[in-house]
Amino acid sequence: MTSLSFSLAPKAIYQLHDALTCLAKFDDNVAIEAELDLLRLSVLNLTKTAYSAFVFEADSFFESYSFGRGRGGSSSRATRPDKFSCQVLIKALLSAFKGKTSGRDKDTSVERCEVELQEDLDETECRLVIRLICGLGVIKLYKLTYEPVHVQHAIFDRSKARNEWSIDPKYLKEITDHFGPSAEQLDIYSEHGKAVFTSFTTKSSDGKEILRQPIHTSVAIDKRDFDYYLVEDHLHVAIHMKDFKAAIAHAETANAMITARFTRPCRPLQFAYDFEGIKSEFTLMTRGESSGDDAPDSSRAAPAQLSARQTPAPVQISQRSTTSETRQMPPPRSRSIRPLTGTSTRASQSNIETQQPPPSIEFDSLFVPADDDRQWDVPNEEDEGQAEDELGWDATGDQASMGPGLRDIEPKMTQPTAEEEEMGIPPTQRMSQLHGLGLFD
Amino acid sequence: MRFRSQLANASIFSKLTASLSSLGKVCWMRLEEGFIRFTIIPDQGTQVWAQLPVDSIFEEDSYILESNTGVINLEVPIGSLHRALRSAVAAKSTNLRLTKKGNVPLLALTIRATSWTTGTNALGIPDINNTAEQSSTTDTNTNTNTNTNSTRPSGPRERETVITQEIPVKVLHETAVEGLHQPQCRDPDVNILLPSLIQLKSISERFTKLATESKSTTSSSSTTGSSSSSSPKLELSANMHGSLRMTIGTDAFRISSTWTDLVNPSLDPGQLGQGELEQLPSERMRGLAADDEAAWARVRIDGKDWSRILSVGRLNPRVVASFINETALVLYVFLPGSWNERDSCLTYYINSYAVE
Repeated sequence: MTSLSFSLAPKAIYQLHDALTCLAKFDDNVAIEAELDLLRLSVLNLTKTAYSAFVFEADSFFESYSFGRGRGGSSSRATRPDKFSCQVLIKALLSAFKGKTSGRDKDTSVERCEVELQEDLDETECRLVIRLICGLGVIKLYKLTYEPVHVQHAIFDRSKARNEWSIDPKYLKEITDHFGPSAEQLDIYSEHGKAVFTSFTTKSSDGKEILRQPIHTSVAIDKRDFDYYLVEDHLHVAIHMKDFKAAIAHAETANAMITARFTRPCRPLQFAYDFEGIKSEFTLMTRGESSGDDAPDSSRAAPAQLSARQTPAPVQISQRSTTSETRQMPPPRSRSIRPLTGTSTRASQSNIETQQPPPSIEFDSLFVPADDDRQWDVPNEEDEGQAEDELGWDATGDQASMGPGLRDIEPKMTQPTAEEEEMGIPPTQRMSQLHGLGLFD
Repeated sequence: MRFRSQLANASIFSKLTASLSSLGKVCWMRLEEGFIRFTIIPDQGTQVWAQLPVDSIFEEDSYILESNTGVINLEVPIGSLHRALRSAVAAKSTNLRLTKKGNVPLLALTIRATSWTTGTNALGIPDINNTAEQSSTTDTNTNTNTNTNSTRPSGPRERETVITQEIPVKVLHETAVEGLHQPQCRDPDVNILLPSLIQLKSISERFTKLATESKSTTSSSSTTGSSSSSSPKLELSANMHGSLRMTIGTDAFRISSTWTDLVNPSLDPGQLGQGELEQLPSERMRGLAADDEAAWARVRIDGKDWSRILSVGRLNPRVVASFINETALVLYVFLPGSWNERDSCLTYYINSYAVE
């Protein structure tokens, strides 16, 4: 029987929430591993090309932390006796650790969080119990189910990484601000004292669809912007844009210097940073080729997977025809066909499109002048709530002033409005309908 | 065929493309000696014909245009161009040129942006503190990266970022565009200078929203097919006595806002003879009394389309609305700035709906 319990201060709750938000960008489930001196949350994505882990140190991150394994523990559940591992839906954890209460009910904001694992082999119900102790005696209790899992870790040998750079993540954030929302991949290389980040999308270039092709963006920054830069010139490595964005977004909130280590294309690249008792690492499989630039569109091998510490049952989730040689990540010495502008499967595209949040919201930080240009944008349904306040019809913004009739019907109308939006309302009459008027012909 | 130029006013260019992209995905961009034209002709909805002198966007000295016909016609994904230009707004210098990658013609933006680093500390003390703070919580394995900090100068300095944005475009042959003409319409009944567009926009959006909501509840059983035609229509009307009225009505209510003391710009007498001027419908309308219903020219336009059109307000322009009673509304959008207003004008052609 395993006993695990720990408690968190409010700040740690936020940090845990931030970490979970970041992990949620990789997959739906998070693996939780408890050891004597640490708690590790990790996610390996579905295609096994990206691994993200946060290690929380027992003595510096938690207010209190206790972990023990009694005899007769579930030997089937863990391979090591000094370790417990399970898997939980990230969404469930996120809703539980949403420690940031809105400003108006400050009285009942979270003061402490206690987490306890209730594992009893005799009982059918094993639960992860999260108790949030709030002001005014409010206690929020969450009981989450978990499932046992064999956790896979991506191996990354830092001592063998020949290339390394460190940088303030805000510079990287600035770079991604320039990239278009549809950019799927990121190529990184350096030359002439500059580090160049290029976005590209592997998409078939259909002649008729030229205008639909994504913008090709590259951003070059000075090597001096890095705290440390030791990278072979002209060495192209490419990673998924959304993985990159996920890593730097969290590094930025943590305000921690981010370090990238890698050896060569088609070997893993690792982003890592440590702060306040938390160690973060993102191990991402890279693509690229050892030499040459734009290879023509040709057959492409699927991105190799990260190798796992525990040999996983190699379930091939990727839809691509992955050969056995890429699965176990061979030494990719002479893989010359890794074009930067090849084709990609439809599956991976749609995947990215659905997972990425609507980007237009993000890109306003640096390049929009102070006189908020967005007020001129066509309103969308979500924004309209705020627009009401801006208009200044009613300073209180109180619903009651709209009269009972309107207020009563409001909840019902949201549904049809959303439907109409999806249907796409034609903005005006067709030009053809207006022939009789003799205008604009 | 060659085109390259330095951007003189990336902010205006960006705002212009933003306004255009709200009305259509693809824009016909026509580069000429002296002028640039942007035209949006959507399958349905409002047409925009914009003409700007080269120096309103580009640096005239660096404007290089070489083509057999003296003109380059491009089909540009205007949304992408706008996205790319956002990087240029705060930049030190931006260069735009037409180029080619493989078989794909591109508009390539090269943007040089500079900023100042904050420096880890303003006094230039080596950032040992920072290093110590970080490494205190790390194990020996990760210390290597932070130790290198001390060798780096930590004071503020200027840093430069070079951004290139490549937008795939189509080059149009002259024959492909020679059939496109600016709409012709009869002389307007009322010309009026519109009030603040942000005010107009927020009020009309408010009206549209109210009408949409009331409609969707009163006819909750309406099929999806009819929902498109039932999108609320704003009635705009104006007279030659400085009044503009915006009305929306449903079965349940009818609301309107009226602006008064607006300016009815008079036409340039130099262009028309005195006799012609008096013959104009707008002069006839001016003769009618302000309280006479016949003195008002009306159009009915789609609320959402109107909202998209008004997004041009981000350019802070002066807008003259020309009402052709029950037929159309033409907006002449004059950009602010030092250049001759008559040379830079965006013209919006909006059809009026028939009364339901």
